Amino acid sequence: MERFMLIVREDLKRIGQLSPEERFAAGPDMGDWVKSLAESGNYIGGEPLAITGRYVTQNEVLSDGPFIEAKEGISGYDIILAENINQAVAIAQSCPMVMTGFAIREVRPMQPFLNIQEKK
Amino acid sequence: MDNVQQEADRLYKQHFGKLVASLLYTFRTMDPESAEDIVQDAFSSALVDWRLKGIPTNTAGWIYTVCRNKTLNKLKKDKWVTAIADHADRGSTETNYSDSVLDDYQLKLLFACAHPDLSPKIQVVITLKYVINLKVDAIARLLGMTIDGVDKLLVRARQKIKDEKIILEEPHPEALKSRLSIVHKIIYLSFNEGYKSSWGKEMMRQELCEEALLLNKSLIDSRLGNKDTLALHALMLFNSARFASRFTASGELVDLENQDRSLWNRDLINLGRHFLAISESEIISSYHLEAAIAHIHCGASQFVLTDWKTIAALYDRLLKSNPNPFVELNYAIALYYAGDKNAAFNLLNELQQHSFLNQYVFLNLALGKFHQLEGNSEPAAHFLHIAFNQTHFNKEKDFIQKMIDKL
Repeated sequence: MERFMLIVREDLKRIGQLSPEERFAAGPDMGDWVKSLAESGNYIGGEPLAITGRYVTQNEVLSDGPFIEAKEGISGYDIILAENINQAVAIAQSCPMVMTGFAIREVRPMQPFLNIQEKK
Repeated sequence: MDNVQQEADRLYKQHFGKLVASLLYTFRTMDPESAEDIVQDAFSSALVDWRLKGIPTNTAGWIYTVCRNKTLNKLKKDKWVTAIADHADRGSTETNYSDSVLDDYQLKLLFACAHPDLSPKIQVVITLKYVINLKVDAIARLLGMTIDGVDKLLVRARQKIKDEKIILEEPHPEALKSRLSIVHKIIYLSFNEGYKSSWGKEMMRQELCEEALLLNKSLIDSRLGNKDTLALHALMLFNSARFASRFTASGELVDLENQDRSLWNRDLINLGRHFLAISESEIISSYHLEAAIAHIHCGASQFVLTDWKTIAALYDRLLKSNPNPFVELNYAIALYYAGDKNAAFNLLNELQQHSFLNQYVFLNLALGKFHQLEGNSEPAAHFLHIAFNQTHFNKEKDFIQKMIDKL
């Protein structure tokens, strides 16, 4: 089994106008989906993300960050185990947020560091 | 009901899925929907023909022959005829068709359902449909889904099956080996769906558990299985042994602590022990660990005599290979009963921070129960009320209400 991150992408501007309670009440219930993934041994972890944070570059730290305007900004993630990327996609397709058109899922294989030489 | 109808019903119940499976295997280009239609059609013909000419001696063989002929006709009509004759005559004549022959088809079909590109849920749904031969409404009830939801999954699965010939192509020997772990998972999940206490009629759930055991047994007998198959078998036997004690005569839920242990089936426990013993292996799977935990429960003559320390250690090990918050909850429960109460509460409090687990009835139920045992009735009531509101199942609500009443 390989690890994948299923990134949730949705309209951050829209969510930003809601209180946290309203935000989660608006979306479909994710509990059964997570539970069934856990039962099948595919679930590792994940959570929603707050809309605002800090955006850190070499020279500055921006409050809230520019991402609040994003139409398909990152609003959460899950880490799962799957046989291959096709199965990971099939799992993402079964996510209630995807099935209801509430959000988009980006499926990314977790890439281990390879052949890192010791730095001197 | 007349004899003809009775015999047709019996045959339908036992053979519908097998007939569909065998058609899919004999005619590789066919899709599952057409195969189902043809089998359905053959049963209609049987009702008419048997009433006119009497019931044949080998009814299963009769139906199979009709299915095959109907398929050949359909294929000719559809101009799909590609090297069919060769397939059509192989091992499918009336005389050598017996109740047992198709069990191999069933196993092959199970490996086909274990396609690594399908999600685990869809793998289970198509296994229940095509291998275990359940109707859509039964699948919906067992999985706690709506009929519409199951249909939608099946439509999507059928499309994929059609596009990629998932059921139609027998996986080659190498693929069989690599699919074994998915097959284990399907059997394990199917068993659990039957075993879970919350929904479905009890008879139906027990039958599903039996089907899962039978599938696993044929896997063991086929020599395709390995040590994990044996450990999974032990696990399912230990759990089956406790099946009857989980409900009172009036259908109320009974937790492990209050089960009448004299109702546990000793024969199944001993059989489980046998399989656990022969499953010994250098590579320990999650099935080995779960079977070992179930074995300890089965061996305890009273709840208070359970070896919780070993169970906690086994959960700890399970977490290393299967890191997920639901296993952590079980670990916390074992820690509490093993006497490590601080660690248990720390872990439970930590799990409350988890965005999904704090929505989960059994976390709040455990917190409520342990606070109750510690004599903290205020937090106990708090958590039990949360738990009460988190379950939609009446049996669970009744169970929690009783705990609240006792406070």
